[in-house]
Amino acid sequence: MQIRLQQLAPTFIEEEKISGSQVWKNDIVFLPGEKIQIVAPSGSGKTSFMHFLYGMRNDYTGAVIYDDQPISSFDAEDFSTYRKQYVSIVFQDLRLFTEQTVLQNLEIKRQLDPYHIESRIGAMVKRLGIASKLNKPCKTCSYGEQQRIAIIRSLQQPFDFLLLDEPFSHLDDANRKLAMELMEEEADQRKATIILADLKKTDHYNATKTLNL
Amino acid sequence: MSKWFGYVGLSIGVLLLLCCIQMYININSLLKNKNPKKDGFDYLPITKMITDENVPNSHSFTDADIAEIKKQPFIDDAAPFISNGFVIKATGGTTLPFTSDVFLEAINEKFIDTLPPPFTWKEGDNIVPVIISSDYLELYNTAFAPGRDLPQFSEKSITALLIRLDCEGVNGTESFRGNIVATSDRINTFIVPESFLKWGNRHFVNSNGPAPNKVLIRAKDANDPQLLKFIQEKNYRINKDKTLFGRIKSVLQAIVSGLAAFGVLMILLALVLFSFYLQLMIARSKENLQLLLMIGYSPSWLSKTVSRKWIPVYVSIIFVTLAIVAGFHWAFQHFVMKDSTELSPFIHPIVVAVAALLLILSIGINYRLVRKLLYKL
Repeated sequence: MQIRLQQLAPTFIEEEKISGSQVWKNDIVFLPGEKIQIVAPSGSGKTSFMHFLYGMRNDYTGAVIYDDQPISSFDAEDFSTYRKQYVSIVFQDLRLFTEQTVLQNLEIKRQLDPYHIESRIGAMVKRLGIASKLNKPCKTCSYGEQQRIAIIRSLQQPFDFLLLDEPFSHLDDANRKLAMELMEEEADQRKATIILADLKKTDHYNATKTLNL
Repeated sequence: MSKWFGYVGLSIGVLLLLCCIQMYININSLLKNKNPKKDGFDYLPITKMITDENVPNSHSFTDADIAEIKKQPFIDDAAPFISNGFVIKATGGTTLPFTSDVFLEAINEKFIDTLPPPFTWKEGDNIVPVIISSDYLELYNTAFAPGRDLPQFSEKSITALLIRLDCEGVNGTESFRGNIVATSDRINTFIVPESFLKWGNRHFVNSNGPAPNKVLIRAKDANDPQLLKFIQEKNYRINKDKTLFGRIKSVLQAIVSGLAAFGVLMILLALVLFSFYLQLMIARSKENLQLLLMIGYSPSWLSKTVSRKWIPVYVSIIFVTLAIVAGFHWAFQHFVMKDSTELSPFIHPIVVAVAALLLILSIGINYRLVRKLLYKL
């Protein structure tokens, strides 16, 4: 499974800002197993890029092609399958169910298309240091804890692509390392591709390709 | 809160509608023509209404009138009565010492119920077979004979009676012997073979006889509201109590239909209320629902899951109202109709079918609405 970008460019960003980009208005292929690092200063459209790939927005020119099909042709059911089985994401704004507990948030995702058994959740939260919060509502967790919850959530499904939009902004270095290791392991297990977008090069990330947005 | 209004509204609407359907069916069953139908048809004599205003006008049926009557879908067939344009005096002789002017009528044989073979007359016959109405026989036996000290007759003994019929017209007089051959329940007059009257009219008064003032119609159901409407529109007259049931039935059915329409209205309003409630519910949970869709939940799965929550409600409402309707109907049959066998104590299958249809409709509409709302998210 590969994602191909054909001259992808947002309609709302001025030409000058896009002209030097290694991503916008380029033809790119993301192959299985690759570890892509996207470096993107603020305002360059980093989150929009992620949203384009995830199919949340379509205010762009060019095409995003998944498995030889442009995702602009997907209907609601197609997207449901796409997000359930092929593409996972960690949103920059996390998008958790704040009223539900940590465990419930993770289960809501896991039961959709379980990749792991239930007990694996326990192991993961323990590994990232948030085991004590498992049965507490998400809104009582700190932003850093919530980020880790979002990360673990994204790993509860099968995927060919893992989209990460500034996933470590509120984690200290030690936690970043732990999180990064976990994600790389999970991706390797699935022979999946990681696309990580951040303001600068991410530490502890063994990127195979770096692109400036 | 509005949810409960919706439940109550729907329940009342469904209850009303189902009750009305059952009552409509009950009315139909109860107000069927009481007289056992011979050969499956009702025979009704009709005349033109004579009012104060139209007294001087002709009240006979033209060929066009008769053709129009025959054309109606609720009328199987119709035939005019021919009557005598010449004077006929009937005398009973010694057995029955009285004389009277009589009117004789004839009608197509097909319409006579007690047709004795043979019921014919040809020119030259002296004996004319006569069929009299059983009502007349009874009238004679109970009202006339006792007062005049005359003998009474049974339906059989009257056939031995011979009456002399003295016919006179511009071309002379002639006597015939009338032989009463049968009594009729259906026709309330004196019937002779058509051939006799046709001959008599030509022979005595050189005409085809007076135009028919009475027509006998054969209909499937004397109480058919359409038949009654037709009679009313054409200003014809039909013996009132033959159609009494029909008129009562029309009125009752109209009332019941009105109530049913009201029931349908209530159901519609309840469904509208539900749709508002659904929209509100989904709008309130919009963020959560959007997030679920965002992380990969299928819109169709979500639609089914959300709308499934309503199924127990709809099922309960329909079942409870159906049970109540069955209860009402049984109580009606038992207490009001005193367990009469005309009505089954169980509700009619159509009522159950309508209830099932309403259930499917409610669930279906609910699902479609939820789906529409979710796809818009």
